[in-house]
Amino acid sequence: MARRLDLALKHAPLRAPAPLFDRPRAARGVFDSQTGFMRALGGVAVLFLVALPFIDASRYTMSIAISALIYVMLCMGLNVVVGYAGLLDLGYIAFFAVGAYVSGIFTTVLGWPMWAALPATVLACIIAGIIIGAPTLRLRSDYLAIVTLGFGEIIRITANNLTITGGPSGIHGIPSWDFFGWSFEDGLTVFGLEFPERVVFYYFVAAVVIIVGVIGAGRLAKGKLGRAWKAVRDDEDAAEAMGINTYVAKISAYIIGAVWAGLAGQLMATHLSAISPNSFQFLYSALILMAVVLGGMGSTPGVIIGALFVSLAPELLRDFAEWRFLIFGVLLVVVMLFRPAGLWPATAILPWLKRDRPQPPPFTSATAAVPPSVLESPSGAPDADVREGGRG
Amino acid sequence: MSALLEVTDLRLQFGGVKAVDGLSFEVREGEILAVIGPNGAGKTSAFNCISAFYLPTSGSVVFDGKHIVREAPRIWHRLRLVQLLQSFGFYRVLPSRVTKWGMARTFQNLRLFRELSVLDNVKTAMHANLREGFWSTLLHTPGYRRAEEACAREARGWLDFVGYEGDEHLYVTHLPYGEQRRVEIARALATSPKLLLLDEPAAGLNYNEKQSLIELIRKIRALGVAVVLIEHDMGLVMKLAERIVVLNYGKEIADGTPEQITSDPVVIEAYLGVDDEDHAVDEARLRTDSDAQLNDESGSRS
Repeated sequence: MARRLDLALKHAPLRAPAPLFDRPRAARGVFDSQTGFMRALGGVAVLFLVALPFIDASRYTMSIAISALIYVMLCMGLNVVVGYAGLLDLGYIAFFAVGAYVSGIFTTVLGWPMWAALPATVLACIIAGIIIGAPTLRLRSDYLAIVTLGFGEIIRITANNLTITGGPSGIHGIPSWDFFGWSFEDGLTVFGLEFPERVVFYYFVAAVVIIVGVIGAGRLAKGKLGRAWKAVRDDEDAAEAMGINTYVAKISAYIIGAVWAGLAGQLMATHLSAISPNSFQFLYSALILMAVVLGGMGSTPGVIIGALFVSLAPELLRDFAEWRFLIFGVLLVVVMLFRPAGLWPATAILPWLKRDRPQPPPFTSATAAVPPSVLESPSGAPDADVREGGRG
Repeated sequence: MSALLEVTDLRLQFGGVKAVDGLSFEVREGEILAVIGPNGAGKTSAFNCISAFYLPTSGSVVFDGKHIVREAPRIWHRLRLVQLLQSFGFYRVLPSRVTKWGMARTFQNLRLFRELSVLDNVKTAMHANLREGFWSTLLHTPGYRRAEEACAREARGWLDFVGYEGDEHLYVTHLPYGEQRRVEIARALATSPKLLLLDEPAAGLNYNEKQSLIELIRKIRALGVAVVLIEHDMGLVMKLAERIVVLNYGKEIADGTPEQITSDPVVIEAYLGVDDEDHAVDEARLRTDSDAQLNDESGSRS
């Protein structure tokens, strides 16, 4: 087995000695492990998404659900940048705009089908990510925030002034997705069940968001790249000392964030079938950032909750008309006061699993060599004991 | 015994302060070398230059036959663009590259990744040695699973090696200080180094923890890893070191075996101070020394 595993490691002058003992296999059940529970929760969420059109397939519900899902995708992308890599990005909506405009231009001006515009969108976002990231990621985060803020505005103003982007009125008549003659507009009939266009598109968006946005980003965060991002976030110098090229790690996070936003932008362009520079204001960058911070930076369930909150709360508060943003703001302040690390922090352990965690050892194995007379109480640190003894 | 690390005439200046002032020493393969000196003697600055965190003003550092200090062409100096270019990674070696070559280090004030578990902290250090790509991570291919398994196995091997006995899933901030030190050493070892730089590994440890640290450093040496440690605890240094380099005011004032160092009058003066009369004499001696050096320099320049 060791030989098989060796293939996964590059040649290195020094190998670790074999572990002294086998670790107990991690629990995998739904209620006795964190991962098991999260998987079950994810399964329930997916079931709910599948069932939603059967509960209510009205135009209004589907439209809100689609935009909420697109928000989830956007927030998962920003979570890679802000939550995992710790880079403050205040102009994230710019990549959303790049994705929306590139797909819009390719389908309306050049007449390509939507799926063919997909590689172009991804490529454009990668290029945009490199253009903005390459010079600025050498800087520390405060400067990065300012540069990204500027970039967001530059993209919006450029779109406002170019003829190819349709100026202030934007691009209209963006087609739906069609695959070799069959389009979402035709609807779909499966086993006698008829799915109208909006429902088919809803399922498509949900599938993309879940597979790419949530599962993809989550997997990246758990692998080597994700560990590098988190290391850079926690301590850049220490990460560099561990053999991580921090610049490469940061720019990869930035590019992945850009691609996620671009895909969300393409979905949004299809959903609205018209885009204009007004949909890409700074307000939206701030809103997405808020969703990530509110949900819990670097935490997948947290960010999804944050995204749903930010996208659905204004809809649910629609009855309050002009007051809704005020109420929204007050709600946010209250949430941040009581849960400063976010609604579902990345470091959260499920409450019923907490007591199973072994507490850190009260003293190290070395201190066990101290004669028991020095250590009166078995739980206290040696220093505390000595001090207490002195006082008494 | 060939030299693994050669430091020649290393100088580092912050404005008018000469943090490191003409330091030269070498580390041979598989030896334990201690760098000692009073506070502010430039030990950590020298460490930072060697591990490429600081860019020294002049001098050369050769590790395992590779130059760590790069010289920029004169034209960039003239245009005052050197710093900018170096901040973009030109004419310098990045610390991550030096680590890949096989030099690992720890930090004076613990710098673990606070929001990662103990196991993930050690896994992070295996970054450069792991065959794991973007697509295999995204698709969870068998290659990815193998890499993660190997990575966890190695990381656990190192945790056992340093004698960490707690729960590997704890966040490092929940650990007692001594355990954090252990994890930091495990993390440095996981980069698979030939040379390990330890910056005050015994700071803040109690007597028993120091004893186990001595054991651990000897075990590390037994793996064939050379160890350079900065330390203030002379007892620990005397027990461990095969050779000692003493720094004061950024200069090397002595280099030799522990016995030679303890009997060296210059070292005793630097550490304990001397009576006023003796001091005056020594001061004068030092001054003439540095004058001679200055003359030397100006001579070589002209």
